Amino acid sequence: MSELVLRDAPPPVATIGRPETYLNDGQTIRSWLFTTDHKRIGVLYLISITFFFIIGAIAAGLIRLALVVPDGSILTNDIYNKLFTLHGVIMVWFFLVPSIPNVLGNFLLPIMIGAKDVAFPRLNLLSWYIFMGAAVFELFVLIAGGVDTGWTFYTPLSTIYSNSWVIPAVLGVIVVGFSSILTGVNFITTVHTMRAPGMTWFRMPLFVWSMYATSLILVLATPVLTMAMVLLFYERAFGIGVFDPGAGGDPVMFQHLFWFYSHPVVYVMVLPGMGVMSELVTAFAYKRVFGYTFIAYSSMAIAAIGFFVWGHHMFFNGISEYSGMSFSLLSFAVAVPSAIKVYNWAATIHKGEIRLATPMLYAMGWIALFVVGGITGLFLASLGIDAHVHDTYFVVAHFHYIMVGATVLAFLGGIHYWWPKITGKMYPEFWGRVSALFMFVGFNMTFAPQFVLGYLGMPRRYHTYPPQFQFLNILSSAGATVLAAAYLFPLAYLLWSIRYGRDAPPNPWDARGLEWTIPSPPPPHNFEEVPVVDFEPYDYPNRIPEA
Amino acid sequence: MPDGVGIELAEQFSSARQQKETGELGMWVFLLTELMLFSTLFVSALILRMLHPGAVTAAALHLKMWIGGLNTAVLITSSFFMSLAIELSRAGRTSPMRLCMVVTAGLGVLFLCLKGYEYYRDYAEHMTPFFAWRPYGLLGDPASRLFVDLYYVITSLHAVHLTIGIGLVMTMQHLARAPGFLSRHANRIAITGLYWHFIDLIWIIVYPTLYVLNR
Amino acid sequence: MSGRSVLSMLLKPALVWIALMALLGAISAIGALVPRGHWWVAELACAGAMVAIVVLFSMEMWRHAPIVRLFSVLGFFWVAILFGLTMVDYATRSIAPQ
Repeated sequence: MSELVLRDAPPPVATIGRPETYLNDGQTIRSWLFTTDHKRIGVLYLISITFFFIIGAIAAGLIRLALVVPDGSILTNDIYNKLFTLHGVIMVWFFLVPSIPNVLGNFLLPIMIGAKDVAFPRLNLLSWYIFMGAAVFELFVLIAGGVDTGWTFYTPLSTIYSNSWVIPAVLGVIVVGFSSILTGVNFITTVHTMRAPGMTWFRMPLFVWSMYATSLILVLATPVLTMAMVLLFYERAFGIGVFDPGAGGDPVMFQHLFWFYSHPVVYVMVLPGMGVMSELVTAFAYKRVFGYTFIAYSSMAIAAIGFFVWGHHMFFNGISEYSGMSFSLLSFAVAVPSAIKVYNWAATIHKGEIRLATPMLYAMGWIALFVVGGITGLFLASLGIDAHVHDTYFVVAHFHYIMVGATVLAFLGGIHYWWPKITGKMYPEFWGRVSALFMFVGFNMTFAPQFVLGYLGMPRRYHTYPPQFQFLNILSSAGATVLAAAYLFPLAYLLWSIRYGRDAPPNPWDARGLEWTIPSPPPPHNFEEVPVVDFEPYDYPNRIPEA
Repeated sequence: MPDGVGIELAEQFSSARQQKETGELGMWVFLLTELMLFSTLFVSALILRMLHPGAVTAAALHLKMWIGGLNTAVLITSSFFMSLAIELSRAGRTSPMRLCMVVTAGLGVLFLCLKGYEYYRDYAEHMTPFFAWRPYGLLGDPASRLFVDLYYVITSLHAVHLTIGIGLVMTMQHLARAPGFLSRHANRIAITGLYWHFIDLIWIIVYPTLYVLNR
Repeated sequence: MSGRSVLSMLLKPALVWIALMALLGAISAIGALVPRGHWWVAELACAGAMVAIVVLFSMEMWRHAPIVRLFSVLGFFWVAILFGLTMVDYATRSIAPQ
């Protein structure tokens, strides 16, 4: 009876007075999976990369668990090797590279320059499908079969000696490259041709500059990796011999091609983080950014010089000594623009009206970790020191400070900062601060001991180690536990806020920029009418705070 | 622009000029990635040549230079017809434009046939080192096998691109059948042409790199 | 309809075709006749000229917006980085500093 009544009279949906946003513009699964709205694609990416981050983090947790004991009795060698490969491959290609560009970039880039959408919306959706196809396939390969070469796929291990599923893993990496290329092409064209009237190059937010530099790297470097991987595939499948010295090839050539991509791609991971930083620092110091043009140009300089330094990964792998010297020198050069940025942010914070909200805590943590990661990078770029610490945990700690310290903190800082814009809800500030604090402590506890371990001579990728290293390894693993807990906090309270958080105003931070002039969440076409930009970026009042 | 030639504005753009520039820039940036893709193979070929000059020269003399040269001429001619098609599209003359595009694609097919014949001749000469079951015909240094393998990698990748190009040109001329196509999508012909010329460009680099410079 | 005749449309593609065919002839002739010596410089120059003609005229670099022109040059610059720094290694492998 009651069932019949309900069927006869469906309750009317309350739509009156509800502003149309990109979130309620069609609510079927279909309207999400076939969307060409850059904001929805950004959200699709957010959900997907969060999933892959969790997978990669679980692998990292298992690695740290295995390293608690020196004799390697927790996991077998084989499983350990497959775990660190899974961790590396998933984290690099399926989390770090797409993290900020494809989530925050997709969501914000068109809004920040005053456009209705990216230049090629359908290509943007295709890029997500390619990403998902490659990611699901790669995950299957890495879990069902496993690969034991590490994410670098160095020859001749990957071509001759490994008995694991190298060929399908390589195919997955090739395919995900196309997703990066499409995103890069899309962003470059968008920045060039889709800017609103009055949005000149030097009125663009610095985040857009960094996304532009990132896209240039993606477009120029990814094809080289694709081809290197295709050659690796041919080599393993047909034995063409291009990386086999016995057949006249050269295994070092693989490393040249691989690092021609993979070093610049480090900047793909960190440049977007720098872009997010410029936004956070100005908003929470409530001050104009110091040296706008310097920060903008240094993004471009990093993108360009980043291509000249790949050889510092290969100093002791058989390249000539002259080549090593020139790569070492060029590597020092790339530190200059990075340092310029850090100084500029410090000068921006100086005498600002600082508000220590969650995004600002992440930004402060970012600067600390990036400086440590950057300085140790200079150690590694010096030939003499690298002779001592190459292929040790020193390197592992160094690049985790950059990739996890800098990129993940910037990603989370950016997610918090723009969360009200993306979802229209505020997150609980207290828990935000707690998690930022835990993350900073947990991160340092995990990776700082690894600098010491590496300097003392513990090689990377080994499953067993001398017993005198056990204390530092346990410390590192304990830190990883804290870090894991700190990751779970935001996952929980951000999801909680979607349902229970209070509604966000259009501009909760009193920040500048086009994205804060539109409602939260934004309407389907971003702007009611095309905005005309007649203001400078970051036009904060520059008041001197009272004592 | 003459009558009957124009661009239908897509949702995200605010002017036809913006849309045209976006399409062209997008294609150029994509071609940039293609250039890097092939350059990786060219750098491999150069490294091989530096490490093993003798073996590479000996193997390169077995490549059929006359087919390679003829194929270059075929592609240059196809590019001529593509350029003509672009000029015609700008004048709004659909029928001769479509004819030129069919000739372009036809010359592309001719290229593939000649390439296939060349592969057949190579096969007959036992120049297929990647087939484990078939003995390799050229004697000497193992690097000779590697050079021949690289020749197959480079030329087959180019052939794949050319096949995509043929498909693209044929699709475009098929779509152009619809009345008023040029008044809505005039820019698409020029963008397709960019891709075609680029494939031609790559072959213009492949021909000397593999066939001529190594002799 | 446009006032341009088919003949005037033919002019540029035809000139490009003639130039490319002439350079192709030169490259092939050198390759076929002189397999030794330093003739590779001439072959390389011919190939470079052909590439330049295709980019400048067939791909209509001069008709495009300046930014498109910049990108077409950018690609070749990055190819030069790839070749240059890789070759620094391979060209100096046999020489060891004292």
